[in-house]
Parts: sequence; C-alpha cells; structure tokens
Amino acid sequence: MEILLSRQEERPQLPADKAPFHEWTFPGGAVWTYFYRKGNDYLLRFPELADFEVSSSGDSVRCWAVPGVSDATIDHLYLNQVLPLALGKQGEFVFHASAIEVDRFAVAFMGESGRGKSTLAASFATSGFRFLTDDGLLVKEEGGGYQVLPSHPSIRLWQDSEVALLAENAPSAPPVQYTSKARFLAEDNLVFCGEARPLRHVYFLGDGAAKRVELEGLSPSEALIELVKHSFLLDIEEQTLLARHFDRLTRLVSRPIFYRLDFPRRYQALAQVRQAILEHATEESEAA
Amino acid sequence: MSFTDKVTIPPQVMARQVGEETVILDLESGTYYGLDPVGARIWQLLGEGRAPAEVCDVMLAEYEVSREDLERDLSDLLDALIDKSLIKIEPA
Repeated sequence: MEILLSRQEERPQLPADKAPFHEWTFPGGAVWTYFYRKGNDYLLRFPELADFEVSSSGDSVRCWAVPGVSDATIDHLYLNQVLPLALGKQGEFVFHASAIEVDRFAVAFMGESGRGKSTLAASFATSGFRFLTDDGLLVKEEGGGYQVLPSHPSIRLWQDSEVALLAENAPSAPPVQYTSKARFLAEDNLVFCGEARPLRHVYFLGDGAAKRVELEGLSPSEALIELVKHSFLLDIEEQTLLARHFDRLTRLVSRPIFYRLDFPRRYQALAQVRQAILEHATEESEAA
Repeated sequence: MSFTDKVTIPPQVMARQVGEETVILDLESGTYYGLDPVGARIWQLLGEGRAPAEVCDVMLAEYEVSREDLERDLSDLLDALIDKSLIKIEPA
C-alpha cells in the first residue's frame, strides 16, 4: 500500500496529445479532472492547478504544479483525489465517504459532494466522538470482516459549517485555491481516531428533502449501485480491475449494514441526527 | 426474435446474485444494471442455457401468472437485454 510521491518543477499545462478517456465534472458541467492514458501510466489533470502522473501499478505519483499554485493546494489535491485513486488502482477499496467511531466500530457516511459528509463527521468529532476520515474511506477485507483505516487527521468544512460547529480559534491548515472549504486539523475539540475500526454501518446521505430524520435499509443491489457510484476507480476501462471490484462489492453488500439517511439540513437538527444514528447503532449491536 | 432461439451471455457480461436480486456489469462499457427477483430468476434460467420457451414453462410453474402476460413481460425483458448487448440471440 506504499505510494511514493515526487514533486517535479512547476510547469504550465500544455495541451494533451490525445483525448481524455474519462472526466470528472462539477454539477455545473465544468471539468474538474481529466483522465488521460500515458503509455501504461495515467495523467490526471486538474485544470489550472496541477498534473499528476500515476504509475500503472498505482505505487508512485509524480506531480507538476501549475506556476503560482500553493503547496497547500497540491497537498490537498494529492490527499483527497490522487492518493485514493492510486490506492484504488492497487486494488484497495476506497470510497467517497467520511467515517466516525461509535462504540469502537466505524460508521461511514457516503454521498455526493455537498450532501453533508464532512459536516456530520465534524458534528460527531466535536461532540465526544472521534473521526476516522473526512473523505477517501479506505476499507480492508480482513479475517472475514471489514476494517476502516484512519486517513488524514483533518476535516474540510464550508464556512457555514465551520461557524456552526467549530470554536473561533480552531487550528486550520493553509487555505487551498480551488475551494472555499477550509481544512481543520484534528485537535482536542476535533478528535481523530488513529486506529482501524470494524465497519458497522454505512449511511448514504439523501438530498435533505426529509422533514425529520429518516432511516431506511437498502437492498443489496441498491447498496451495490451506490457503492459503485462512490468508489475511487482510476481506470474504469480496465476490465480485470473492474471485475475484481464488482466481485468484492458483491461480498460486501451481502452484509445488512447499508442504509439511506436523510434529514433536514439545519445545524440545529444535527444533535437529533447524531442521536438517531447512535440509537440505531446501539439497537443493532444489542440485536447482534 | 423467436422463443425457440438460443440465448447466450457474452463473456464481457458479469452477473452476481445479491440477495434476491441480480446486478449485471457490462465490463465493456462499465455500466451496471439491476434485475428484480423475477428478472433475476429469468436471468438465472437463461444462464443455464435455456431457450426463452423453456424459461416460460419454468416460470409458469413457479409464478401465478397467465401465459399471455408472462410471454409479453419476458419478451420485453429480452428486448431490453438485447438492446443493452447483455445477451445474444442465435436462431435455433
């Protein structure tokens, strides 16, 4: 699972010599990441920010920042986008999700950007619980079970969440240039869990249309499709990796641990959401 | 398409049963499809190499449904599967 990152000299982004095989776009349609093939390797281009070249095995990454882009931005792109993709290329299970620790187990929150993954994680992490990751949830199959590994000890929050959840002087990392989300480092009031924890529940976050907290179990096939949507996969055309990923997801969704969670997006409602999640986790462990 | 035609599943199409349903992955396009329990049973029978007419007989024995309704639903499903290149049809 080792990945070697080497920073190269800054350089402007020259036009690529072929078309990308894949793109990630923002909801408005602007391209956030272009995926190119470069021989057996991959070039990930974040327009106006940086190029990252990932080796075919996913074990080494070279980075070229666009002149003037800050180190914090590069670190951030690497940790939140490139590293999960490289780990995925190595065959690891990596999802767009945050996770917290409840009762020595891990509880994960998955959903598209803006659904509240980070806010929920920060809400728990400022209320006596510890967080395992803000994004890039790494899950290991181990001894017939699934372990969630801790990732970077920081949480990114939009300013409204920051005001609602964190103390005024919470320590933050240097700002990054592509988002107005600030990244907050783990500290006494935002507590990080540095140990792996068995995965208990995964909640897929709804769009906030619910009038109160709503929890509903997902069928295995619904869970599988959701997990596919939230997987970090570098090369969706690589059939061997895709087939292996599919088989492993099939095993994962045979566990009845997947739920849809929706709640009104009001900060005042977060205590109630936390309570519902905790009760749900406790019921399950008593039943087990 | 005739109900006596031979149906095959191309090698780039993977399917796995999850609970009572089946999820199909087309490795060529990277697209996933879901089948409900009835669709999953039909897929299973097709995977055993049964022609649509045989599938129809088995389903009539297992489900409370008229032959007319079943043949229409089966035909719709087969058309959809052919359209997505998830099965191939060869005349018997």
